Amino acid sequence: MLEALIGGLLAVLQWKAFSFMLIGVAVGFWVGLLPGIGGLTSLALMLPFIYDMTPVEAFAFLLGMHSVTATTGDITSILFGVPGEGSAAATVLDGHAMAKKGEAGRALGAALMSSLLGAIIGALALALSIPIMRPLVLTFGAPEMFMLAILGIAFISSLSGQGGRAAMRGFIAGLLGLFLALVGLDPQAAIERFTFGQLYLWDGVALVPLIVGLFAFPEIIDLAVRGTSIAGELPPGKLSAGVWEGVKDTFRYFWLTVRCSLAGTIIGFIPGLGGSVAQWIAYGHAAQSARDADERSRFGTGDVRGVLGPGAANNSKEGGSLIPTVAFGIPGSAAMAILLGAFLIQGLRPGLDMLDKNLTLTFSMVWTMVIANIITVAISLLFLNQLAKLTLVRGSILIPFILFLAFIGAYTEHNHAGDLITLLSSGLIGYLMVRCGWPRAPLVLGFVLGNIAETSFYISTTRYGFSWLSRPAVVVLGAAILMVILQPLIATFRKRIRMREAAT
Amino acid sequence: MKGRLDFQVVPALATLLVAAYALYSSLYWPLRTALFPRAIAIPLFLLALIETVLCLIGSEKVREGHAVDFELTTDVDPLIAQRRTLAIGTWIVGFFGMILLAGFPLAVPIFVFAYLKLAGREGWLLTTVLTATSWLFMEGLFNRLLHIPFAEGWIFSLFGAT
Repeated sequence: MLEALIGGLLAVLQWKAFSFMLIGVAVGFWVGLLPGIGGLTSLALMLPFIYDMTPVEAFAFLLGMHSVTATTGDITSILFGVPGEGSAAATVLDGHAMAKKGEAGRALGAALMSSLLGAIIGALALALSIPIMRPLVLTFGAPEMFMLAILGIAFISSLSGQGGRAAMRGFIAGLLGLFLALVGLDPQAAIERFTFGQLYLWDGVALVPLIVGLFAFPEIIDLAVRGTSIAGELPPGKLSAGVWEGVKDTFRYFWLTVRCSLAGTIIGFIPGLGGSVAQWIAYGHAAQSARDADERSRFGTGDVRGVLGPGAANNSKEGGSLIPTVAFGIPGSAAMAILLGAFLIQGLRPGLDMLDKNLTLTFSMVWTMVIANIITVAISLLFLNQLAKLTLVRGSILIPFILFLAFIGAYTEHNHAGDLITLLSSGLIGYLMVRCGWPRAPLVLGFVLGNIAETSFYISTTRYGFSWLSRPAVVVLGAAILMVILQPLIATFRKRIRMREAAT
Repeated sequence: MKGRLDFQVVPALATLLVAAYALYSSLYWPLRTALFPRAIAIPLFLLALIETVLCLIGSEKVREGHAVDFELTTDVDPLIAQRRTLAIGTWIVGFFGMILLAGFPLAVPIFVFAYLKLAGREGWLLTTVLTATSWLFMEGLFNRLLHIPFAEGWIFSLFGAT
């Protein structure tokens, strides 16, 4: 174990892997800062670049990029009140209020340092979970893997919206993702399924064009519709004053930051909850930590604890969400679902292999998250004033370059015009889904898990008939799936009863 | 709101048709091949049917189906938003057409130049610099370094054939 831990560090520090990580950090740094482009979009856009990389290099690049977007997303939230990332929205409440009071520097110092602490705690949680996860994964056979895949999709589907109707749309999206994974030759009998006689579709729907289209196109269209500079028309201010005070605040409220980091890790671990939930729970906990009502009333008007909590949770959740992704192949978040695509591209199978044969690679992910965040915080602290100017880049300048990246990224999957058609089709689907309030994450998760689910289902039924349904772990997982599916419906039903009672 | 709710029937109806097609296709496969697709298509069909019916009868009086996902901006006048959406859609399809006709190495700089000049209304200097940057990026990274085999544009294939 210790050998793999050190091996992981050395693997990340090799010049090539380290260089790729630095490139990833640089991309993630900008992406997090610019409200027009999400971390998910950039992760999808960068996926085609990993074909020629080794697994360590690929994950150093992708994780290096992804783990810093939440950190720099806080900067835009504080400066302009516009979240750089969806997961940095809670930071706006007190962070931007502090900026308006002339305490932007202090808020930024607090956000950056708490982010670093959160990232380290999240990475530590991932490292510590490995010895616990290994024996657990060993007990899982094909039936359990199938049920886990369905549970993962059910989790993300039910939690990807508010209310029973939104949950239903989540389930439809998840099933649609599973359906898309069916396209191509049947893995058992090599019979064509939904290929329309096209040779291109024999290998199935291409992963990269699908993800790039789903996530990049709606954001490109929105950027064009807004027609402004990326952060609107808000002017940047002088920021560097009070940064160190904010850094000290992190240690002044050290245990609060640690508790919020742990909350973020746990939330990250549960598939489907993710950063958007983690930040608000951490914010709620920070507000609860106020000693009296008077102190609590300061939250929302510029209390530094309102910055520390979400800042820490945002970053610690990444380590947490990597745990089920690596150990079971069940992504803890939408970003992890895309990252799971990277596993497939690299020919890796999440699960026991990642905790045994590829343990060094798993530890290299831990180190990437820590090192990438240290670098980002150091750079951010040095260049705060210059960073603010980046958010004023006009959307019209960015759009042709993002489109260029999207098309070329999609094309690299098979070097075939079919990749571009897949890109356009999935872009249209993504836009329709966003416009109609359908979540996209369950679709990606369904698509990514489709193959694992079908293979496990096939092995289970061939080997055990239908008796696998009575295996204890399967029964427990089945009950969990039912609970996950029924919970939003029950919640909606209860809400209606309460509303009816209140009306009478 | 009414227009928005009406529009919501589109993905629901499309999903319903996809599920129906999946079920129909699976009738012609052996059970081993059809089992998993049916296990997916049946619940998909039922859920899509419920969603379509709910959309058609307009049961969603307020937008309760709020996804935890990226949301499109609502600050722009709907007519302007529609016009701009159509415009960017045309640019995207145009770029795709240009790639097919002229091939990636030529289509990228042409597209970047045209977009910056016509849609962005940027100055000549900035447009030229950014177009050159895109070409360098395209040629240096993707062509020379990564050796991606770009297909020849249809125009050139046509000239080559004659």
